[in-house]
Amino acid sequence: MRRHIGMLACFVGMAMLISACATPETTKKPYKMSQQGTLIWNDEFEFKPPPSEWRVVQVEVGGEFGFGFLRADRGPFPSQSMFVYDEEPFGCSGELGERGDEFFKRYLWSTAMLADMKILEKEKVHVLGGEGVAIVAESKDPIKKEKVKSKVVFGKRGDRVVAFYLTQWRTMDGTYDPSAFEVFDRFWGSFKYLKKSFYQTLVEDP
Amino acid sequence: MEGHQRNLPLYDRFNARVVGVSVDDVTTLKYWAKSLDLTFPILSNVTGFLGPYFGVGPSPEIKGFPVFSRRTVIIDKKGIIRYVKDGSPDFKDILLFLKKMNKEGRSDPTTGGKP
Repeated sequence: MRRHIGMLACFVGMAMLISACATPETTKKPYKMSQQGTLIWNDEFEFKPPPSEWRVVQVEVGGEFGFGFLRADRGPFPSQSMFVYDEEPFGCSGELGERGDEFFKRYLWSTAMLADMKILEKEKVHVLGGEGVAIVAESKDPIKKEKVKSKVVFGKRGDRVVAFYLTQWRTMDGTYDPSAFEVFDRFWGSFKYLKKSFYQTLVEDP
Repeated sequence: MEGHQRNLPLYDRFNARVVGVSVDDVTTLKYWAKSLDLTFPILSNVTGFLGPYFGVGPSPEIKGFPVFSRRTVIIDKKGIIRYVKDGSPDFKDILLFLKKMNKEGRSDPTTGGKP
């Protein structure tokens, strides 16, 4: 009996931990579909939505990111892909290249990956109507026998740097699925603002 | 703290300055600030003597260990505490408050119109 109670407590603890990390779609939806087939988030952002197998995720309190989409991939744990839009990416610099360097000092620190992210590609892109930087990076953890491939796109909203990022987790011998990266590219490539940000309004209003 | 660093130009715009206070020692703070590229002052308050001035004390959850709870305090030019909030800083709330204080300062005759 005591063992059963212990297991139950363990499950409850795990459920609480998972719900604290990323909250799946809640009952009150913060988004709606437009007639053009784009998704409008909180009347502020508009973008091409991912296919239906991607679930909405959002952090409601003190989160590391605003909102995004999660897909459970085939294969053993931790096979999954997730991409998000982040208004406050790690780092401080307002210059895109510098911000990228600062960002990767702390990116994914909470996952306790043993190895540092290795930059595989870095290129200039057009994002949010202006110049941006896209970085593809990978990290492998030989102890956990897990790896992660990530694409991060930095752009600007007003004076501030914002970021889009995709992480794809696999076991060490797993293969990455490029389709998730294509969905992610459509997401950030179509992303538009429907109104000014808090910071833009803050400095413009008297 | 990175959030404060990102907001430095806005604090400047609203005639505010930010100072961090921590119970860590100077050496630790020096390296920590460097790792986060912080450029604003961080005060080392190892004995915790500053805490009571702002109503901040050791966390009751960890007995015998000097871990202080997080609190954001905004002090006006006259030295009066105008804003207190516990937990992680709410940067938007802080900026709106500073903007309001800056406006008040501009219309305050005792400051000669200087915010």
